[in-house]
Amino acid sequence: MHLVELSRQHHGGLRIDPARIGEQAARCHMVPVVVSEFRRALADFPIVLAKSQDTGQFSPYALMGLAPEENLFWDGSRIDAAHVPLNLRRLPFSIGMDQQPDGAVRNAVCVDMESPLVSKAGSEALVDGEGRDTAYFMEIQKVLYELLSFRLATEQFVQALAARDLIAELRLDIVLESGKPLVLTGLYGLDEDKFNRLADADLAGLRQDGHLTLAYAMLLSTARIQSLIDRRNRLEGQDRAWFQ
Amino acid sequence: MSERIKSVCIVGGGSAGWLAAAVIAARHRAGHPDDIEVTLIESEAIGILGVGEGTWPTMRNTLRKIGVSETDFFRECNASFKQGAKFARWASGAEDDFYYHPLVLPEGFPSLDLASFWNHYATGNDSVPSFSDAVCFQEAVCEKGLAPKLITTAEYGCVANYAYHLDANKFAQFLKKHCTAKLGVRHVIDEVDEVALAGNGDVSHLVTRRNGDLRADLYVDCTGFNALLIGKALGVPFRPCTDVLFIDRALAVQVPYDTPDQPIVPYTVSTAQTNGWIWDIGLQNRRGVGYVYSSAHGSPEQAEAELAAYVGPAIEALQPREIRIQSGHREQFWKGNCVAVGLSAGFLEPLEASALVLIELSVEMISAMLPATRETMPITARRFNEITRYRWDRIIDFLKLHYCLSERDDSDFWRDNRDPATIPDSLREQLALWRYRAPGDQDFSSNNEMFPAASYQYVLFGMGFKMDLSERSYLVRDTGRADEAFRRTAALKEKWTRTLPKNRELIDKILEYGMARV
Repeated sequence: MHLVELSRQHHGGLRIDPARIGEQAARCHMVPVVVSEFRRALADFPIVLAKSQDTGQFSPYALMGLAPEENLFWDGSRIDAAHVPLNLRRLPFSIGMDQQPDGAVRNAVCVDMESPLVSKAGSEALVDGEGRDTAYFMEIQKVLYELLSFRLATEQFVQALAARDLIAELRLDIVLESGKPLVLTGLYGLDEDKFNRLADADLAGLRQDGHLTLAYAMLLSTARIQSLIDRRNRLEGQDRAWFQ
Repeated sequence: MSERIKSVCIVGGGSAGWLAAAVIAARHRAGHPDDIEVTLIESEAIGILGVGEGTWPTMRNTLRKIGVSETDFFRECNASFKQGAKFARWASGAEDDFYYHPLVLPEGFPSLDLASFWNHYATGNDSVPSFSDAVCFQEAVCEKGLAPKLITTAEYGCVANYAYHLDANKFAQFLKKHCTAKLGVRHVIDEVDEVALAGNGDVSHLVTRRNGDLRADLYVDCTGFNALLIGKALGVPFRPCTDVLFIDRALAVQVPYDTPDQPIVPYTVSTAQTNGWIWDIGLQNRRGVGYVYSSAHGSPEQAEAELAAYVGPAIEALQPREIRIQSGHREQFWKGNCVAVGLSAGFLEPLEASALVLIELSVEMISAMLPATRETMPITARRFNEITRYRWDRIIDFLKLHYCLSERDDSDFWRDNRDPATIPDSLREQLALWRYRAPGDQDFSSNNEMFPAASYQYVLFGMGFKMDLSERSYLVRDTGRADEAFRRTAALKEKWTRTLPKNRELIDKILEYGMARV
C-alpha cells in the first residue's frame, strides 16, 4: 500500500478501473461498515463485531465469507449483493487524518497508488476535459463523506453495547453438506439474553441515542449466516459436480 | 438453635484485609435482608507494609470473582504482567547461570512425562537446551520481553498463563473502593484500643477509640506482623521455621525507570547473592527491588553494598527500607471465632510469591466454609487449620528446594542450606524418589497442594538436578510422543515470539483503549 494525499495538480490525469474492485474484495471475508449502511447491508450480510488487531476495540463488519480470505459474494465478475459495502466502493480512495501543527486534525482524501484499480487503462477519470469532477468521482466523494460522517456514530453505537456488557462471542460451529466441519472464531455479536433482560433505563438510553434499531438490525442480521452457508454449500456442490 | 453467624469483622486494611472483605462480601452479600454484614476496620495511624507485589495466576480468577474489571486493575494499581520467575545465579553462581519457573506447564503435562525424556537426552549432552526452555514456550517469550496476550485477548484471558506485579498500596486502595462502592462493605476508620475476650475465650468485641464497641460473629485478623487478635489477644504461639529458611531481613527500595518508555520485564527476577537473594519486580512506573538475607550470615553493611551493586548508580538517590522478618507461621490460624489471614498468620520470603496466594486461598476457604452457627465453627476451624498448615508446609518444602540443590560455595549461607539437618523430612523423601524418576502427580495427592509436580520439575532440573533412569530405561525408549512435544514447543515458540507484543507496548494499549470483557 502506498497512500498519498490526492491533489488536482498531481492526480488530475489519474484513471481508475472500478471493475477491479472485485480482485481486492475477493480476498475479504469481512468489510467494516458504518451504522448508516446497516439497513442496506442486512439484506445480504450478517453484521458482526470484530476486534481491531491494533487496539482491541470492536467495530461492526459485514461478513462476506466463512473463512479468512474467502468472499462468497464475489462470483468472478461482480459482487452479487444489493448493497456493496461503502468500504469496498470507495477503493482505491480513503480518508486520511492529518495532524496539523496546531494539533487540529484535518481530513484528506488519499489514494493508494499501488492499488490495481489505479490503471492507465482505467475506464474512469477523476476530472473531465473542463476540469470538473466527473460523475464517478463525485460518487466516490459521496461515499467517503458518508463513511466520515458516520464514523463517530458507529463508534458510539459499539461503545453503548460494550458499556452495557451486551457483546458476546458468536460461536459458529457449522457442518457443511459435504460433512466438513467449519468453525469460525473471533466474531462477536449482541448477547440476546442480556439484551432481552436489559433494565428499562438502559433500554430507554439505547432508544434515545438511536441505538435500539441498530441493535435489532445487528441481532436479526445473524439470520444471514444461513445464506452464507448456503452459498458455501452451493460452491462446494459445484466443485464436486466438476470432479465427478 | 445455636447462635447464628451473621456478621464478619475484618481488622486491618492492607491487601489481606481488603481481599478478605471483597471475597466474603462478593459471596455473602447479594442485596438480601439476610445477608452477612461485612465490616472492615482500619487504623489511621498504622500504615500497611505494602511490599507484597507479586501474585500467582490465581489472582486473575480472584479479581474476576469479586467483579472488578481487569482494565481498571491495570489502570489503578500500576499493574504489569508476570509470566513466572527467572532465577539467576542460584545453581552455580556463575554470571550466565539462570533458569525459569514459567507459569505454563511443560508441553503434554501431566499425561506425557516429558521430563524423563529431557533427562534422557540431556544426560551427558551439554548441547541440549535447558529444561524450562526445552519443554515450554514461555521462557522464549519472557527472554524477548513480550506480553502474555494480545490486545484482542479478552480481560482475564491469555495466550500464555500469567500473574501480576502490582503496587500493594494502590491495590489496597483499589479493593477498598470496590468493596465500599459495589460490595456493601462497611468501612470504619478507627483505632482498636483493646480486644475484649469472652468467658469461653472467644473475641467478644473490639474497643475502639471513637466508635465504641464493635461486635461481630467472626473476626478476621489482618493486622500484619502485629497479630493483634490471633497473637496478642488470643495468645496463639508463632512457630518459626528459621531452622529451614534462614532469611530474616529485607532491604527494600523502589527504583524509578530511567525513561518512561523503558521496557517492563514481564517476569520476576530473583538473583542469588552471598547471603540471600534480590527480587526485582517491574511495575509500570518503577521497579520494586529488595535484598532478603540472613543476618546470621552477613552484616547489614554487606547487604547494603550488594544491593547497591545490583541497583547501580540510581541507588545514590534512594533510601533503602529495612524490614525485620521472621519466617514461620501461627500454630493455629483459626482459634475460637477469630481467623488470621496475611502476615498475622505468618511470613515466608517472597521467593515464590506465596503471600498473596495464601491470602486468596485462605479467604476463599473462609468464604466457602463460613459456618452458619457458632456451634459448627470448631469443625470449620479444625479443617481450616489442617488445610492451611498443609499449605504452609508445602510452601516451606518448595522454598527449601531452591536452596538445598545449589552448588554455590561462596558463603556459609549456601553451605548451611545444604546441611541435611535443615531439610524437612517430607522434602528429603521426595528428593530420594526423584533420584530415579521425575516428580509426578502421584507425589502430590492432596486436594490442597500449592505447587503442581511441574513446578518441582522446573526448579529441580533448573538447578541442574539429573535423574538416574537406568533402572527404568525402557520408559524412555520410545521417544516418538516426546519428540513431537519438543517440536510442538519449538513451533509455539516461533509463533508467539513473532506475534506477541512487547510487554510495555501492550500495557500502554490497555491503559489507552482497555481490554474487551469478551
